[in-house]
Amino acid sequence: MSCDLAKLSRSRVRLPAMARVVVDVMPKPEILDPQGKAVTGALARLGFAGMSVRQGKRFEIELEGELTDERLDEVRRAAETLLANTVIETFNVRVEAPPESSEKEGASESGDQDDEDEPTEQAELATQAG
Amino acid sequence: MGPKIGPKIGVVTFPGSLDDQDALRAIRLCGGEPVPLWHGNETLDGVEAVILPGGFSYGDYLRCGAISRFAPVMAEVIKAAEAGMPVLGICNGFQILCEAHLLPGALIRNDVRVFVCKDQDLRVESVDTTWTSDFTRGQIINVVLKNGEGGYVANEETLQRLEDEGRVIFRYVNGNPNGSFHDIAGICNERGNVVGLMPHPEHNVDSLTGPTQDGRAFFNSVFNFLTAKV
Repeated sequence: MSCDLAKLSRSRVRLPAMARVVVDVMPKPEILDPQGKAVTGALARLGFAGMSVRQGKRFEIELEGELTDERLDEVRRAAETLLANTVIETFNVRVEAPPESSEKEGASESGDQDDEDEPTEQAELATQAG
Repeated sequence: MGPKIGPKIGVVTFPGSLDDQDALRAIRLCGGEPVPLWHGNETLDGVEAVILPGGFSYGDYLRCGAISRFAPVMAEVIKAAEAGMPVLGICNGFQILCEAHLLPGALIRNDVRVFVCKDQDLRVESVDTTWTSDFTRGQIINVVLKNGEGGYVANEETLQRLEDEGRVIFRYVNGNPNGSFHDIAGICNERGNVVGLMPHPEHNVDSLTGPTQDGRAFFNSVFNFLTAKV
């Protein structure tokens, strides 16, 4: 699917600017995380020792239009209003590189790998809130 | 004198509500006039009190009550609650009231990591609300409890305020079934017109279907309040 998008964006048709913004939501450290505990227990039973898990949620937002500070603020407001319950959760908003730029790197399964030489791959515009 | 017509009590049906029919039935059995309300409507149809029933509204997607809290009817419920109308949230309804910030804190997954379904003993801690005035303080009642996410949590400051202001209205006794802080089963807002609890009083109104009829006092309380107000 990302290949199709990449092809489209290279064609002559001008696509509206799109950015992918990721909102990560995690239970606050002081809040019990029964799901994480269940996963932790299952991992231990499977022989994955010393792994303590806390489980959160990841929201991928395809943002239409130009990525401005105002638009990012809007995403933060959306996160605070609906995506996270700040009584029990924290959230983090960050911008991900658009789909076409990840094509050269092949499959994007290593999304969490830090690559010091390629700082543009994952825009470091992360903000903390909650 | 003709037959007495009880107060009109609305019960909101969200997609995924399960106990709306039981709540309507309980209102009728206890002498009120049940009024079904639809989540998509922007009116409360002239009711004098509202019940948000149990169930899995919107499939519990995102968080329990997180999406229902923004249903069109909720704008009216929030407005009415802030103006003093009695509002009772049962189970999923309690979760919706917390998500709507009509009540403080939140409900998280049971610490026991299983769905709990049992006849639960509760101690009545406060009778100064529109939904509990017919109880006596310290009374032990038994009401059905059935949920997967009934663990009441709030920060220390909020818990202290709830305790100081007498807003913890029901506490679990003979064992905490879900890890709720301070054994909290139900709380109310500052004014005492908005009450939320995890147990289901609407299931305890009829000897045929419930081991006790302790749920009736909820409905009698609000009827008394509404009648006295007139």
